Amino acid sequence: MSCWIRPCYAGFWVYASVSASLLLGGCYEGPGDAGQQSGTDTDADTAGGTAGSSGGEPMEPAPENAELIPESMARRLSVAELDNTIRDLLGDDTEPASQFLSEEEYTPFDNTYALQTPSQALVEQLEVMARDVSERLVADPTRLAQLIPCEPTGADDAACFRTFIEDFGRRALRRPLTAEEVEAYMTLQAYATEDNAVVDNDFDTAVGLVVQTVLQDPEFLYRIEVGTPTDEDGIYKLDDFEIATRLSYLLLGSTPDQQLLADADAGMLGDPQTRVQVIERLLQDERAKDQLHRYHAMWLGYRGIPHEATLIEAFNQETAALIDRVIFEDQGSYMELFTSTQTYVDDYLAQHYEMPLPPGGEGWVTYDDPNRAGILSHGSVLAAFSKFTDTSPTQRGILIRNRLQCLDIPQPPPDIDTDNPPASNNPDACKEERYAEHTQIASCDGCHSMMDPIGMGLENYDMAGKFREYDDGRPECIISGEGELPGSGAFSGPRELADKLIASGELEACVVQQYLTFALGRQLVEGEEEILNLVLTDFADDGYGFAAMMTTYTGDELFGFRKEPQTGGE
Amino acid sequence: MARRLTRRTVLRGVGGIGVALPILECMLDSRGEALAADGGEIPCRYGLVFAGQALGGDNWAKDASRVAGMNFTEEGHFIAPPEAGTGWTMTTPLEPLALLRDDFSIVSNMKIPYNATNTDGSAVPEGGAYRDFHGGGCSPLLSGTRSTAPSFTCNGITSDQVIAQMHAGATPFGSLVYRAQPSWYLSGSSYSGRQYISYTGGGEPVEAQVSPQVAYMSLFGNFQPDNEDDIAILDFTLRSRRSVLDLITAKRERVLGEVGAADRIRLERHFDELRDLEERIAAISPEGGSCEVPPDPGTDPAIGGDNAGAGSGSIEENTGWSDETTRANVLADIIHMAFACDLTRVATLQLTVFQSHMNVFVPSSDMGIPIKADLHEVGHNGDVDNRGQICVSTMLEWHIQFYARLLQKLKDTPEGAGTLLDHSAIVFTAEAGHGRQLNDAASENQTHSVEQMVMLVGGRAGGLNPGQHIITAEAHPVQALISAMQAAGYPGDTLGEVAGTIPELFT
Repeated sequence: MSCWIRPCYAGFWVYASVSASLLLGGCYEGPGDAGQQSGTDTDADTAGGTAGSSGGEPMEPAPENAELIPESMARRLSVAELDNTIRDLLGDDTEPASQFLSEEEYTPFDNTYALQTPSQALVEQLEVMARDVSERLVADPTRLAQLIPCEPTGADDAACFRTFIEDFGRRALRRPLTAEEVEAYMTLQAYATEDNAVVDNDFDTAVGLVVQTVLQDPEFLYRIEVGTPTDEDGIYKLDDFEIATRLSYLLLGSTPDQQLLADADAGMLGDPQTRVQVIERLLQDERAKDQLHRYHAMWLGYRGIPHEATLIEAFNQETAALIDRVIFEDQGSYMELFTSTQTYVDDYLAQHYEMPLPPGGEGWVTYDDPNRAGILSHGSVLAAFSKFTDTSPTQRGILIRNRLQCLDIPQPPPDIDTDNPPASNNPDACKEERYAEHTQIASCDGCHSMMDPIGMGLENYDMAGKFREYDDGRPECIISGEGELPGSGAFSGPRELADKLIASGELEACVVQQYLTFALGRQLVEGEEEILNLVLTDFADDGYGFAAMMTTYTGDELFGFRKEPQTGGE
Repeated sequence: MARRLTRRTVLRGVGGIGVALPILECMLDSRGEALAADGGEIPCRYGLVFAGQALGGDNWAKDASRVAGMNFTEEGHFIAPPEAGTGWTMTTPLEPLALLRDDFSIVSNMKIPYNATNTDGSAVPEGGAYRDFHGGGCSPLLSGTRSTAPSFTCNGITSDQVIAQMHAGATPFGSLVYRAQPSWYLSGSSYSGRQYISYTGGGEPVEAQVSPQVAYMSLFGNFQPDNEDDIAILDFTLRSRRSVLDLITAKRERVLGEVGAADRIRLERHFDELRDLEERIAAISPEGGSCEVPPDPGTDPAIGGDNAGAGSGSIEENTGWSDETTRANVLADIIHMAFACDLTRVATLQLTVFQSHMNVFVPSSDMGIPIKADLHEVGHNGDVDNRGQICVSTMLEWHIQFYARLLQKLKDTPEGAGTLLDHSAIVFTAEAGHGRQLNDAASENQTHSVEQMVMLVGGRAGGLNPGQHIITAEAHPVQALISAMQAAGYPGDTLGEVAGTIPELFT
């Protein structure tokens, strides 16, 4: 699946012509990137103009604008989602999935379903994890008591075991179990009642085995959506439990809670009007904040940054506070994330930044540095995309361009070793001079002119987010801090960069595109411009409120449908 | 405490399926013997150990180094010694193999072909490298199949999976694919394929097991103890694990019947893996005179956070490091015992990923030169005070110690009339050589080089005659792999687009 980048299709993007001219302006086009992506609509036709298959029973009607329903596939819970789910189901906060499972590929999000290929390594990890989780649960009477909704009278208490299976199974598989399924789990009680001289087995033994079973069950591990066919070929209407699961994993990063399952049972989710009430409740949940913190950290690349733990914690607290304020407290324009003139610090972080101390040891402080504003001033984001033990203007340029403008950068030509910082004939050259050499070489300048000038405008801020006047340890190398956002003009510092990004009109579209990528578990592809356009229009109409955008997107009738991939999905 | 296994151990009371293991005949060893004590044929084993680094540093000659702020010139640190034949001088990276110098050969001065005048993907020669180094080198090095783009994908089947196919069905595990480095360590990017060295062909990677604990449990979690109570406990555990998986696999047809065509492919594969897992739980009944359960490694070392640059904070903190030393030791020991127990005949151990950003401060400090950099940077620039050949070789030595550990354990394990090492062909390779840069095809003494590559070929399977240093006339490194594959019983003469061997390995 080709990645969806702006130069792919002229016509939709206002700025497509600008990008195209940049590309034509001598930037190297490597194989396998932009050139290949100027494809036609062959695999994106899908809109399925044909009527649904004719069957005996009357089919659900497809929604009017069914062509805006994106293709989707079953998605495996990411490592983080699995940890959250096990925490919420079993009260186990040890993050066992992170302990046993392989690290995800981040693209930049951890949920790209096309990469979720089952393997021997995975099923082995899941079995060991399930056994570990189950053993620790069975050894913990407090958690067991919370999990089992009845008081077993003994190892052979079938009624209580059945109650547990029905309750836990429904929560874990996110739907009521069939009678057949309950009977299948009941067979595990034989391990509780077995007369065994050497094994200390009891009622809880079988409980542990049910947990082991569920945790390895593909119906638990994957969010499988089936739904019912509609009169539009390939379009299926999800049932209420499937919608509950979609909502919960997108908004909370975890499994539906009891209330949400009850809402599904009550049929509140199929109808957008009642669904919105549910969404509003979910957005009140603390986990909605955690989910957005995680989302931003993946998007902007600071989920792990090269600093010591104390500083990382302080940065994360600062950035989380701004996200919460913009999205949940103020509920104004999301652009405030980039323009806020205040930041949340404690004494430690204020001293680190050399800014005024907050009142009472922790709180909001107004920047005294007029060039700072918003998240681009945070140590978290300024630490991301560093290289060679220092900031990399090129990498920072890539961050802004890829993640905030959703613009592609072609591959460097193969004969350039991009692992090394720019060399210079002059060993005493300052950093700005060395980077300026990029502009002297035509084959470099075509692309580096898209990136380096952006990073140069942030050079006064080091990889710990501190202001600096000159290159580290070299007072003779005064940093000008002057940069340029290609197509938008000169700027200096995070505040002006944010202003330029907003003025360019590209930021809000990219914000939506990134969120949809996260929500769908894949990049949008050519032919899906209107899906983005729909959400973008609502985002603008709501004054760029992010919570409103999430509510509108998940509350839309279309959110309750899925489209079967036409070509095998991969 | 290692438990000795009795011969003909069976999983009594489990109702397990005893699988009769067809044994592929291994070529005779140097003593003309390939029979176990009980007259059975001894299989040959094939292993590949991989280091995600180069053999030298950018712009530093093989005798030039900077350590603790001092520049100096000194021979003996580049992996390949100057002398060919058997009387070679020890070099820094090979130190861990000092007691094994008659058990492996050095194959040096190898080169992956490339087109020095044209960077286009269509201009790459057979078995050659696309000119962008990191992605370009992977496919020709491991699959003998040319790369045509800068992506980390092997375009052909890799040597280990060729051997695994030869032994398909013969052992409980077709192959072991392990990796010691468990994290990419950079949050702005991702592995993007750098975590694979094993492919089944068609660009399809084999996902590595990265958890030593899971690897241990999977291989040795269901071995039969010799004490009655323990046997009964294990019996209960194995039965319950099978029941758990039975309940899941019983859903297979129902679930696959409900889902759409696209989902069915992936879910089918998941159910297939579950079925295979279930069969392994019941069927392992290992044999072998030296087969014993290794010590339980316990919980895995914690996975470190992102790499700490020296620009702030401190690289001395435990970031970018997950105690890969312990992880690699455990995985090497598991491979050794898996071979001894004939649980598999093929293993790969990727110590570090391609272009690895593992923080080397801890391991390099343990070896006497505290380098404040990640592994990738060691090849390019090191830190301010430590760079060049000695620093690169120190980290190469760190990698080779695990290869040495594996060889030593195989050598210490009697099998038939000889040792397990007599029936093994184990290769060590690094990601790159040290020579002319692949990218610009001009700069000398570069890490981004597929020239002056070196592989180590250990063991005596199939008539290998170890102990030599073979200086090739720019042989393709895959010819060393094909030699090792043939030693392990491979009847073919090609891997991907590369044909031929290093005949001196057998003479």
